[in-house]
This record gives sequence, structure tokens and C-alpha cells, in this order.
Amino acid sequence: MTTLLTNPLRVGLRQERVISPQCIVIFGASGDLTHRKLVPALFELFRQRRLPSEFAVLGCARRPWSDEEFRSKMAEAMADTIAEHPGAWEHFAQGMFYEPVDLQQSDHLVRLGTRLETIDRLRATRGNRTFYLSVSPEFYGSGCRALASAGLLADPERSRVVIEKPFGRDYGSAQGLNKVVQACAKESQIFRIDHYLGKETVQNILVLRFANTIFEPIWNRNYIANVQITAAETVGVEERAGYYESSGALRDMVQNHLTQILALTTMEPPGRFDAEAIRNEKAKVLQAAHLANEQEPWQCCVRGQYSSGGTAARPLSGYRDEPGVNPNSTTETYVAMKLFIDNWRWQGVPFYLRTGKRLPKRLSEVVLTFREAPVHLFDAAGGAPTPNQLILRIQPDEGAEFKFEVKAPGSGMRSRPVDMGFSYDDSFGEPSDEGYVRLLADAMLGDPTLYTRSDEVEAAWRLYTPLLELIEEAPWQLPVHPYEARTWGPAAADNLLAEEGLIWRRP
Amino acid sequence: MSAQLTLQAPLDVPPAEVTPYLDRLWKGMLEGSSGAATFTLLVWEPSWLEQQLVRVGLIDGPIRGFDRSDLMTAARQAVSDCGLPLSTAPMDPRLAWALGQKPGHQSSADLRGQVVESAISAHMPRRLITLAPTLDAGRPLETMVAAYCPLPEEGGTGAACGDAVVLRGGMGAIQQNLHLIQPLVGDDLPCWVWWNSSLDEPLDMLEALAPLPRRLVIDTSLGSPRRCLDVLVARIDAGQAVNDLNWLRLRSWRESLAMVFDPPSRRDALAHVVQLDIDVEGDHPVKGLLLAAWIADRLGWHLVASRPIPADSGSSSESGGIAAEFERTDGVSVQFRLMPVPMGMPKAHPGAIVGLRLICEPKGRPQLCVILCSESGGCMRLESGGMAALELAEELVPLPEEHEEMEMARLLSGGHDSTNPLLASAAPLAARILPD
Ligand SMILES: NC(=O)c1ccc[n+]([C@@H]2O[C@H](COP(=O)([O-])OP(=O)(O)OC[C@H]3O[C@@H](n4cnc5c(N)ncnc54)[C@H](OP(=O)(O)O)[C@@H]3O)[C@@H](O)[C@H]2O)c1
Repeated sequence: MTTLLTNPLRVGLRQERVISPQCIVIFGASGDLTHRKLVPALFELFRQRRLPSEFAVLGCARRPWSDEEFRSKMAEAMADTIAEHPGAWEHFAQGMFYEPVDLQQSDHLVRLGTRLETIDRLRATRGNRTFYLSVSPEFYGSGCRALASAGLLADPERSRVVIEKPFGRDYGSAQGLNKVVQACAKESQIFRIDHYLGKETVQNILVLRFANTIFEPIWNRNYIANVQITAAETVGVEERAGYYESSGALRDMVQNHLTQILALTTMEPPGRFDAEAIRNEKAKVLQAAHLANEQEPWQCCVRGQYSSGGTAARPLSGYRDEPGVNPNSTTETYVAMKLFIDNWRWQGVPFYLRTGKRLPKRLSEVVLTFREAPVHLFDAAGGAPTPNQLILRIQPDEGAEFKFEVKAPGSGMRSRPVDMGFSYDDSFGEPSDEGYVRLLADAMLGDPTLYTRSDEVEAAWRLYTPLLELIEEAPWQLPVHPYEARTWGPAAADNLLAEEGLIWRRP
Repeated sequence: MSAQLTLQAPLDVPPAEVTPYLDRLWKGMLEGSSGAATFTLLVWEPSWLEQQLVRVGLIDGPIRGFDRSDLMTAARQAVSDCGLPLSTAPMDPRLAWALGQKPGHQSSADLRGQVVESAISAHMPRRLITLAPTLDAGRPLETMVAAYCPLPEEGGTGAACGDAVVLRGGMGAIQQNLHLIQPLVGDDLPCWVWWNSSLDEPLDMLEALAPLPRRLVIDTSLGSPRRCLDVLVARIDAGQAVNDLNWLRLRSWRESLAMVFDPPSRRDALAHVVQLDIDVEGDHPVKGLLLAAWIADRLGWHLVASRPIPADSGSSSESGGIAAEFERTDGVSVQFRLMPVPMGMPKAHPGAIVGLRLICEPKGRPQLCVILCSESGGCMRLESGGMAALELAEELVPLPEEHEEMEMARLLSGGHDSTNPLLASAAPLAARILPD
């Protein structure tokens, strides 16, 4: 993105809600996520004056760090940011503490309770707490139990738990985990993260649909022929092979992020803009969604895995050659599928979802293709008129685009397609990608709108259960097709659409 | 927004008994309910206008202490009955004063502090203390206490409870009993003090109610401009968290102006402003000055001089405007003019903005003229005058008519514990632009 002068009149204009006095307790404080995302996001909130002065961060993990060590480790990791705001960091760091805690040792949690009381007195945080479980998923359930038995979740108004992804591995485990956490805390205290919901352009789907009157009347099966949702990455598995091998694209991207975009794109208008109304509608539409062929799921899904590619100058290794990956791995790095939604609005409209690593471009988008005009009155430059398309670009080049036919210049009445575009960049300059900042602030404010509720998570897992079972029980029916790195996935994925005479949009 | 009555009928309790009674209340009836760990809201609620309108029989009671639809209609009517200029805003303290000169002895029930606007109760104040001075200055003090629980919304979580305390009586009685306030406010929770009245009222009361670190809410559209700005600046200088409802009402103007310069292609023009004009309703310049000061501060202008523009004897406006000269960071001078325009149907508060015009002369590009017009006003004065050659960006500024209580609720939901830095920089500059 080009660097632009910021708009001086924008600075400080938003009157954001301020978080009430509290202590945020991060489990996994020595881990990767804490220094890469969480503490930087908290510092950003501090600099935006959105944290109250009565605020504290308590880092917890097993290693025996001191407060001072925790502060200096974070300072090391964030050196560049801090160099720009040294005074602010000094002020912020005064509210940072560390307590060695092993979530599996109940006496550690009792000690944690005592430490929190000391912090309450020191920082006037009034017993108000947000617990952030940034630990391995195996500790989500036991961590909640440990917190609950230490009495730390007893007050539903003053305590809440944020749970990182992934929430479960399949329908059964998600249901099990929901049971465990709901036995420890009320649903209103539980915040399940989906990072995509922190993206401004994902939130914009709701605004675009429900703040305008022109879209809703045509946002249905009468006008929309099909919908494609794509999340493409150019990167490979990088350092996360250990995690990725046991997850794959379906669990890593589709069940959560793509499904959330699907829900926002297809949900009914909520009666009001509040967390429960919105999440009710999202849960409802996900419950109505299903694979195009649940009996023979291999008919409506294609898996792929990248093989080597790139150029002579910059060769890219294949997935199976990546460090940490089993050389015979059948983990998918690409998946494409077809879904339907059985309700009045969407009956019969196919939804195509795809995601993959090592694709030619990094982008996420939703493409709504409209039905063709009933009669072709004009010659089209391309033979037949191009159907109207509305493209919502989530990243990069955030914005929206509308394709429609106009008269081609010259004599005669030939038509040709043109684009009408809205770009965040041109209109606003800086698209904000403040994912964790937004999500952390909302959790501390107790606003769950951008978090997924238990029924949503379960509906999302249920949707893909036939595929997960097939991969488990008869993987040969859903083979991983190799595709060359930096291409648009296996050819088999094209066949998914070909039967309807469609093609994937090549962005 | 609907009003919510307190949970129980308020109980008259002798002043000395208030604190012990509240202790018993929390131990007994409210046991098991979590007291909201939120804030205390202390309101100075004289409602002089409403009390006077009731007294002279222009509206019926009960007196409630917050905006009601018939109040505005009656107040507008009273403006002409009292022979005030038609551009007098209904909330202008001069109207209540003029009504005070009229005969009338209607009395009515007084529910001040007993009806909680649901926008405010939604934020669950732990304690709402209302000071309700009566027109009868010699009236003895009455104290009333009640518990309230905001009704939980459908599907919402259980509501935490709070209590409401009302101190009602003549000025003298209230002044003598100010020692009751501190124990009621306590030190555990943040306390907001809402001075819901004119800043021309005796300052010792304001000082008694709002010592640091209590957070103060005032309205600089009510009271003489110099006094309003001086109070605002003094409080900010003292390090208090001050919120000004008059400043908050500028929100849509600030937002609309920022919006004009959001497209990166326009950004450069902001460095080349040569002229700023602001039109305001009536003779109260504070809001216009705050807007100008915000722009000047954001763009790094330095104030060179300001002077009053004498009222034009031929014009219908009662007072003149203000002219000022700024210097940009590159040394070029910027001319500023604030002009009062008479309005037949003024907004509720004095000094609402009617329009704004900003003229930019970027180097090597066509001049840009930005005009923002109030949705209801129209701004012909700013649109006239040979701007055909300029690139014109004209926007309507939406003016949601919101009650004080909604503004207040928004503030409380923000929970800000320090003065907004934009206001903190704009206020002293506005005070300097206002000529003595
Ligand atoms: N990193 C990312 O970009 C990313 C992205 C999306 C989601 N997530 C999710 O976020 C979570 C954290 O990821 P991460 O990458 O930060 O993991 P990580 O680097 O492996 O860190 C794990 C942390 O947990 C602590 N820990 C381990 N066992 C513990 C126990 N019994 N009690 C208390 N603390 C314990 C570790 O510290 P000690 O060894 O000192 O105890 C360490 O601080 C995971 O659930 C992951 O799925 C991460």
C-alpha cells in the first residue's frame, strides 16, 4: 500500500467506548501469540486511550519469570514499536505483571487468585477480569475447569474467558468442549475467537447488506445464481507444520473463517444490531446449510496438496518436503466444496468455497453472481452478456466491485462489461487491519458480537462432518490431488463447477 | 427511549438517616443482587425552565427534570410571550429568567431524580444522586431514597442493582447540607458530576459538588460565553476529566468535515487553507469557536489576533461576529470569521452551527471550497460570493436531535477518565479567540 498523509482531522475523532477497570490474565504469556499479537494489541489500545488507568496485564505460563523478565521479553519482541513511543511503553509496562502458573496444578490457581487480589488493590481493578487462554487447545477445557474450581469465574459480570482457535477438531469434540466450558461459566462469559471477524472488511459485509436498501431485495435465489467464497494464501506451511499436519485446510480455514463469511453473507437481517440477534441469525443459517451431496460427499468436495513449483531462481518446495511434514502426508493444503442452504432465501443456489496455500495470489473475497437477463436483446462483445457480479474484496485491496454491461462505444448496440469499484484505499486511505485490537477490546468490554457462540461453532462443525468422517474412514475416496505451487489448485476443483457450466473467478 | 421508574416507591428519610438506611437496604432487600460496580452519577438538576413553565401554567406537572416533548413547544411559545428575540433558543437561561418575572402559582408533583431515563439506567449507575433545588429558595430539605434495578433485556444477563438518592429543597437548605454528599459518593467508584444547568449559576456550588477526581460534565452553550469558556479551561488546567455536551454536539460537524478529506486525493488541500467561515445561530459563539479551534489546532495554525466585528446596524442580527487571523505552519495567513445569523426556529441550545466554509488554495491545483450546511438551516450566506471557479465540495450535516440524557448516556458508556485531548487542546484556543 502506498503511504499516505494521514487525515489530520480524523485523528482522535472516534469516541470509542472505554474498557472498564480490569486485569487481563494471559495464559501462555511466554508463547508466540502473546508477544506477536496480544501485548502489541493491548499497547495499541493503551496508546489510543481506550484502556482505563485502572488496568493491569498479568502474564502466566509455567516458566518462572519475574514481572521484570516478562516486561523485558515483551519489550524485546516489540522493540520497533516501543522505539516510537518510549514514554508510553514505560507507563504501560508499569501495569504488567507475571505469575508462574501451570494450569494443571490446582494450587497454582489458588496462588493466582491471591495474586489477582493484590493486583486489584494495587491497580484498582475491582475484581474485574478477562482470562485469555493462549495455550495449546488441549488445555482449553481443563484450563476453564481449573479457573472455575478456583472460583475465578464465579461472578458472571466480572469475569470472562477468551478461547483461541481451534475450538474442537470435529462436531463431537466441539460439543464436548462446549459442555465443559459451559459447566464452568455462563455462555455470556465465553468468547470464542474467530480472527476473520476482527477484520473491518468482514464486518463491512453486514454494513453493506443492512445499511443500504438496494441490496437486500435482490439478495436471494430469485436474483443470485451462485456465490463463490475464496481465501487464497501465497505462503506455504512455514513454521507451523506440527500444527498443520494434524489440522489441514478444512479445519484451519474452512470450518471457521470461510464459514463465518458464509454466515454473514447469507444470514437474514437481524431485528436489531446486538450480539444475540446477530448470532441467532448466523446460527440459523448455518443450521440450514449442508454439503451439496451429504450421502456421497466426495462428489462435492476436492482436496489438494501443493507440490514443488516456483521459478528456477526461486524454487518452492512441495508440502511433503517441508520441514516437519510427513513425507507421505495426506493432509490437504487446498480444499474446494459446494454447499447449499435450505431456506426460502437460498434454496437451490450453489455456494462454492475454496481455500489453499501456495496459490498465485493472497486474497479473500466473496463473489455473488447474478442471474442472466431473461432475453438477450443486444450482441455482447464476448458472445453472451457477462452476468452481473458483486465482488466483496476482504483482503488485500479492500473494497467492493460491481460488474455490469454497458453499450460498447461505436455504432450498433453491442454491449460489454465494465467495473464500478469502491476501494478503501482511494476513499479512506488507510484500511485498518486491527483484528486483535478490535477483538481484545470487545472481549474486555464484554461485547460478544464478533465472537462465535456455542451453537454457531457446533453448526459449523456439523456442516463438515460428512467430509471429516470420510477423510477419517475412507480417505481414498477423497484423495489429495497434487497441484503445482503458485497455481490455482488442482484441476479437479474446476470440475466441481463445470457441471453447472461455471468457472472459478480468476481474480 | 422510555423512562424507567425506580423499583420501589421512593421513601422519605430524614437527611441524617440516608446513609444508615442505604446500608440496611443493601443488606436486606437487595441481598443476593450484585451491586453494580459501575459509577456514581451526581446530578445538579435545577430544571429552572421546567419549574418556571409549570409555575406560570404553560405546562402541567409533574416536574421530571429531563427533556419532554411538550417542554420545547411551550418554551418556544414562551420566547415570544416574554418578548425575547425570536432567535432565542429554548434552553437559553435568559428564557427561564424572563419567565421568573411573570406571575403564577401553579404547583405540581416533583419527580426529579425518581425517574431514570433508560438510556442512563442501561449503564447501571451504582448510585444516582440528584440535587433538586426548588424555586422557593427557603424550602427545607427533603431527602428520598429508592433502590432500582434496570429491567433485564430479554435474553440479557441478570441486572445489577443500584440506588437513587434525591436531595430536594431551597438553595439555602441544599447548601447547608452539602456535607451529606461525600459519604454518599464514597471513594470506591468513579463519580460523574453532571452540571445540568447554566454556568452562570454561582460557582461555589459547582466547586463544592465537583472536586477532583470526580469527572465533570458541563454544557458550554448555557451561560455567558466568557464564563463558559473560562470554567471549561480552568477545569481542564486543573487536571479534571471534563466533558462538554456542547462540544459533543459538534460530533457530526467534526465527522462530516473529516469525511470530506478522507479521500487521499484531497488531503493535500488541508495544508493550504486560506479562509474559514462559520455561521452560528443567535449570539452565542462558543460552539462555533470550539469548532474553529479544533480545526486550527489539528492543522497546526497559530493565532495571531482576533477582534469583534461590530453589529451591522442595518442587519436584523442583534450582535456582531468575531474575526481572527491565524498563521499556518508555512507562514501563510488564514482569515477566520464567525458570524451570528438570526434563525426563526432555533435549535434547543444556543449557538448551534448553521454552516461552515473552508477555502483551500493548493499550489498548482484548482482552489477547493468546502461547504458544510446544517441539514435544517441552509447556508445561503456561505454559498454566495463568486465561487464558480472553485472545485466545490458541499455536504449536509445530519443533526440528530438527541436529548441531553442520550448524550450523557453515550458519555457514561465511554467511561473516559480524562478530558478528550481534542477538547483539551481546542478549549484554551477557543477562549483566546473570543475577544474580551
Ligand atoms: N501463534 C499464532 O499465530 C496463532 C494463531 C492462531 C491461533 N493460535 C492459538 O493460540 C494459542 C497459543 O498459540 P502460540 O502460538 O502462542 O503457542 P506457543 O507459542 O506454543 O505457546 C504456548 C504457551 O502455553 C504455555 N503453557 C504450556 N503448557 C502450559 C500449562 N500447563 N499451564 C500454563 N501455561 C502453559 C507455554 O509456556 P510455558 O512452557 O512456560 O508453560 C507457552 O507460553 C494456541 O491455542 C493456538 O492454536 C495461535
